[in-house]
Amino acid sequence: MGIKIADLTVTFKNQVTAIDHADLEIPKGIFGLLGENGAGKTTLMRVLTTILSPTGGTVTLDDIPYSKENYEKIQRKIGYLPQEIDLYPGLTVQECLEYMGDLSGISKQIYRERIAYHLEKTSLTEHRKKKMKQLSGGMKRRVGLVQALLNEPEFLIVDEPTTGLDPEERIRIRNLLVDFSEGRTVLFSTHVVEDLTATCNQLAVMKKGRFLYSGNMKELLEQAKGHVWICKTTDETKARELEKKYHVSSKQYVGSELQIRLISETPPEIECSSCEATLEDAYIDITNR
Amino acid sequence: MRKECKISMPLYKIAYAVSFVILLSLVRGVFYSFEVGIALEPPMAILTAVFCADTYVMEIVAKRSEIWRLYPLKKKLYSIYMRLFLQQFFLLLLAAAGYGLFFLFQKPRVSGVTSITLISEAAQFWIFLASSLVTIVFWGIFSNTIACIFRNMWFGIGASLILWILTNSTLGDRYLGKWNIFSYSFRNVENSSDFGWICGKIICICLGITAIAVLPKIIEKRR
Repeated sequence: MGIKIADLTVTFKNQVTAIDHADLEIPKGIFGLLGENGAGKTTLMRVLTTILSPTGGTVTLDDIPYSKENYEKIQRKIGYLPQEIDLYPGLTVQECLEYMGDLSGISKQIYRERIAYHLEKTSLTEHRKKKMKQLSGGMKRRVGLVQALLNEPEFLIVDEPTTGLDPEERIRIRNLLVDFSEGRTVLFSTHVVEDLTATCNQLAVMKKGRFLYSGNMKELLEQAKGHVWICKTTDETKARELEKKYHVSSKQYVGSELQIRLISETPPEIECSSCEATLEDAYIDITNR
Repeated sequence: MRKECKISMPLYKIAYAVSFVILLSLVRGVFYSFEVGIALEPPMAILTAVFCADTYVMEIVAKRSEIWRLYPLKKKLYSIYMRLFLQQFFLLLLAAAGYGLFFLFQKPRVSGVTSITLISEAAQFWIFLASSLVTIVFWGIFSNTIACIFRNMWFGIGASLILWILTNSTLGDRYLGKWNIFSYSFRNVENSSDFGWICGKIICICLGITAIAVLPKIIEKRR
């Protein structure tokens, strides 16, 4: 069960290959998709939502192959929150969701019950009479999430839902995604590493249309073990040299000293100590091998 | 229906459409009452094309079309047709109101006084309304269809404008005659028994039906 992607290739008319012979299995639960901008995450999501047809390879959802004759069946199982979406600004939250419920082909009674339930869960009940244009970015995203859940999808796809939100709202969205992942597959695409640390156990890392890693987060961190170093220096020239030579995941002044966190498979040519890898370190390690 | 109304007819659209008709009835001079329909039909056509061009394309612009992809085709088409119907109904009411405004502002000479046309004022109005109904429905569907094909409302407006210029001209009248989609505006007003201009309206209906028939394919392909 879940989603299986085998040898998936998407090449656009301008000969740009967005996904290049990718293989992936997405099990039940929340699954993170991490990658830089332009890595192919959105293209993958557009394939999974049947918006785009792949150039090559196969995709199955609960053993149903993605083919034109199955699209309708697949679409009924999917809920989707695109990266940028402007939900009917002239409608109230309630009207907007009812309209989208109606478009989904769900009966009025059922979608009204679901709307009430999800508005409560997303703390939007008191805002249901507000117009969409009056909502904050985070609230709009939550309404977007509710619309994606109206058909009780088995497979929920969310594309960078936390981009541009304040920390409180980001945490709220992340927690909601975890809540909604119960009994279904949630594909959570982001380029914000900490969003995945807080929500997922399983993830895939994408770069230039390929999967560099897919599997358990712990194993990814394990792979980066011994590759993360902390160096301290007061010499700025030395610091700049280190930045040129190694991949620096962070740097900060601690007193008068500059503390640099760098990624290297071998110990750097400077006095330093090994330290625990974070997901961010592991991501930089794997994408720069 | 209320939601479709709010979505497809935001305040700014209603405002520019009403202003357009008021301005037109103020500045477009008419002398006889039978000229009112002629003065109103072509501008209403272009107003309709602009008004209806974003009927579906607004979903693409707002990135909602990616969600619409997951909805059943029947529901999507119902929604688009409903939006078109509501907009066109509003524009028809506006055309009728515009007809009245011409009488209010321009005070044209009525038929009985001039005896140029023998049709009564009421009959003239109903004929105008019937003709406007066909005109509005055709231009709305045409503009929306072209916009859907190119996924851009400006293509819908642009193509409509080109067709409007070509047909609402001496050239269009000369070459298309009674088959011109603006045949009502070019009709012989002195011969009230000549209803040959209906041929042009039949062309509008046929083209409109064709556009409605191909819309499902366009929506599926150009989502």
